[in-house]
Amino acid sequence: MTRNSEDLFDCILMADDRFHVEGYREGFDEGTRQGMTDGRKHGALHGAKLSMEVSFYYGFGITWKCLLQNNTDAKARKRLKALESLIGLIQKFPHEDPQFETLQEDMEKVRAKFRQVCSLLNVPTDFSDYVKSGGSGGMSF
Amino acid sequence: MRKGGHDTGGSRLQQYPTPHSSVPEEGPVNDSSHPNHKISLLPSGKDEGDNEPDRPRIASTILVRRGRKSRNYDILSEAAHCASVANSRCWYVAWNPNGILLASCGGDRAIRIWGREGDSWECKTVLQDGHQRTVRKVAWSPCGNYLASASFDATTCIWKKKNNDFECLTVLEGHENEVKCVAWAPSGNLLATCSRDKSVWIWEVDEEDEYECVSVVNSHTQDVKHVIWHPTQELLASCSYDNNVCIYKEEDDDWECRATLEGHTSTVWGLAFDPSGQRLASCSDDRTVKIWKECNPEGGQDGTNSGWKCVCTISGFHGRTVYDVAWCPLTGALATACGDDGVRVFKEDETAGPEQPIFFLSAHVPKAHNQDVNCIAWHPKEAGLLVSCSDNGEIAVWNYQSEA
Repeated sequence: MTRNSEDLFDCILMADDRFHVEGYREGFDEGTRQGMTDGRKHGALHGAKLSMEVSFYYGFGITWKCLLQNNTDAKARKRLKALESLIGLIQKFPHEDPQFETLQEDMEKVRAKFRQVCSLLNVPTDFSDYVKSGGSGGMSF
Repeated sequence: MRKGGHDTGGSRLQQYPTPHSSVPEEGPVNDSSHPNHKISLLPSGKDEGDNEPDRPRIASTILVRRGRKSRNYDILSEAAHCASVANSRCWYVAWNPNGILLASCGGDRAIRIWGREGDSWECKTVLQDGHQRTVRKVAWSPCGNYLASASFDATTCIWKKKNNDFECLTVLEGHENEVKCVAWAPSGNLLATCSRDKSVWIWEVDEEDEYECVSVVNSHTQDVKHVIWHPTQELLASCSYDNNVCIYKEEDDDWECRATLEGHTSTVWGLAFDPSGQRLASCSDDRTVKIWKECNPEGGQDGTNSGWKCVCTISGFHGRTVYDVAWCPLTGALATACGDDGVRVFKEDETAGPEQPIFFLSAHVPKAHNQDVNCIAWHPKEAGLLVSCSDNGEIAVWNYQSEA
């Protein structure tokens, strides 16, 4: 009898804890589901952006290479060399592996090479729809 | 009349008699067009506060304060033109290779060429139509026939000297925003620029004065403040708002960051190689100057990793940001330009070992200007001649004489 009443009180007294644990578990599961969805969306968006940027550079590089490849003068050779270097960087680029160690670094290299190519070709780099811009607004000294 | 007699900063590294500075005489009062202030820095000897003017160890003289005068003059003639410019600070000064001319640039978008006339420096030419915004830095080519100017309008102009004038030869475009610095390699065939867009560009110059970009490097994560070439090798250094210094070398037609020098705790504003190129000085918003030494120069040349380590930190002397540092090519003295309006000269203690150099404060003019000192440059031929410029538009030429 005393034992029962103890259980009863126990039940009441521990309810707080029990529901807390249950609630936590449910919340955790729900959060995991939601997080997975959000993460997937986020990843898809960023992956698409990055792919779009890289693909843009690739298309740009291939097109200019086709346009220039029959020229033999020194200037065109130089430009072609830079274009090939850009294409080479992109072909080495780890499209499939978002956790690739030097992804960020390699991306910076591709961007830098693209800017050099644009400078050599005298093409303005105003492809802001495709290209990530290095600088942002604000004060500067 | 004495001023700032004891202001030598907390001198942790200092083991030498503290020089005192004073402003003894005003220049001829009636000749207001050529104020010729003389500043002598006197030794204190062993007795702190003893200002007896025997054995003057360092005498610094402002030879000219033309900047102020020219600014007034220019405001008169350019009032309308300058009205939209919020400041007319002088950002940078550079001697031409033989030291006959001095180029300055600043917030008024102009470049001024100064030449010596007797005891003073006169403005010979004003190059005005090159840039739409502030001209942040200027650099002379090693041959002295070209001048490059880096501007906040995102372009770099190359000027060619023609008789006594300069013509704009070409405009280098490519940076996304403010170009912060430009520097010519010792060969004269390469030019480096850096920008707030975080990139460093290397340009090649051919015989027909055509400039081609050979490389774009994104090694900094923030605004790149300064670029400088090694005095003898094709080695480039840059510093940034990301607190780091990067060293670049050419690798298979591309330039790559070969070493990142980490140590400063805030923006690194300026860099200077020592005359031999074995050491690099960097100055920072963290109020220190650091001396870096290449630890395996041979390794650096044959393609393996080159490493630079910090062998000395000059701290406790500067009250604010150190904006520029200059290593005298003739005497090895190190000068700094500071946001506390002071100009300082440090000398190396020759008894210290090469792995642990010690620098001591040799001369200090506490209020060299009445606003931030932005730049400091040693004359390439005359030992001890130093020029500084300030936010208030002033340019001052100093004479530094060291004891024996």
